[in-house]
Amino acid sequence: MTGAAFGRPVSYAGGWTFIEESDRQSSSVLLHYTPTYQWSIGPRIEANRDQNFTVSSVQPTWLAKRWFGEDYQGNLYFFGGAGIASGINGNSLNNRFAAYGGVMADWETRSLFASYRARYLDAAHFGNQFMQAARVGFAPYEGDTGDLHTWLMVEIDHRPSDPDSVTATPLVRFFKGPLLVEAGYNITVNQPLFNFTYRF
Amino acid sequence: MSLFTKIAALVTVVCVAHPLSAQEHHDHSTHTAHDMHEHHDHQEAEVANASHDGHAATSEAILTRTEDIESALAEGGEPIVADVLGVVCDFCAVAMNKIFGKREEVAAIYVDLDTKALSLVLVPGASLSDETIAELAVQAGYRIAEVRRGDAALGQNA
Repeated sequence: MTGAAFGRPVSYAGGWTFIEESDRQSSSVLLHYTPTYQWSIGPRIEANRDQNFTVSSVQPTWLAKRWFGEDYQGNLYFFGGAGIASGINGNSLNNRFAAYGGVMADWETRSLFASYRARYLDAAHFGNQFMQAARVGFAPYEGDTGDLHTWLMVEIDHRPSDPDSVTATPLVRFFKGPLLVEAGYNITVNQPLFNFTYRF
Repeated sequence: MSLFTKIAALVTVVCVAHPLSAQEHHDHSTHTAHDMHEHHDHQEAEVANASHDGHAATSEAILTRTEDIESALAEGGEPIVADVLGVVCDFCAVAMNKIFGKREEVAAIYVDLDTKALSLVLVPGASLSDETIAELAVQAGYRIAEVRRGDAALGQNA
């Protein structure tokens, strides 16, 4: 299940961001608004393709700490969400209240990247799920402002409730101006990954 | 094929697929004005290397001269360069552009990821205090380490 946006979940004051994420288990879209640089909020819809339910929620994200350096930036975020879980694709279970919460942390320079995220979802009779994922990556070249930036990354995710609890996804991140696109392939369970972020 | 072998194979394929990009962006630590011109040619930017003007080279970032910035300088606006902490990606540049670009005092702006500096030229007669610049950077999500103005921003200090 998608955690909540590896592509900077809080923007600049007054900024909007659209984030789509699709991994081996779920697809989601989030549109968030950032009132101040410390937090964002917006509607999020997530479809769990494995277990045939959706979670329609409102998700606030809090930038708890940002570390600044001349050559690096680190971030610690906490996020949560509350909404309604509904069955799809013939799943006739009744709608239920659902909530989730999690943490994200990242550290990056212009050529190195590392991140971690974890989330726990309580979707009532649709199921409770925990996931965590870590990434490392590097940029084969350092692009300047407005250039196409390319990153090569590997994500390892852990979902204890899945039969394949630990999987690996190599991916490529392309970054240009306000647009970030990630494409990868989970080589453990043969599922694609596609993420898209647009900031405006 | 083992998991490690699959990952190694994929990384190798992607690395090989980007040799031109890597070549175009090599050795950022030794930028010359020519390098920088190539680097910014998509927006006709050019760095005013201090040594070009006959002044001593400095390790401090100086104004990045895009077309907009040259135009604003020609109008007589004050040049300002601010060293920004934490600027590592284009989202950072977008944020700074959005926040500073809204200010009526600002005639031209450019965020240079290579020098990690914000270049501003003000509207003639306008002023923007160091404190305001720092506060605007905070709104964008970043921090200002130092601000230089006038000749210092142009790299023309003795």
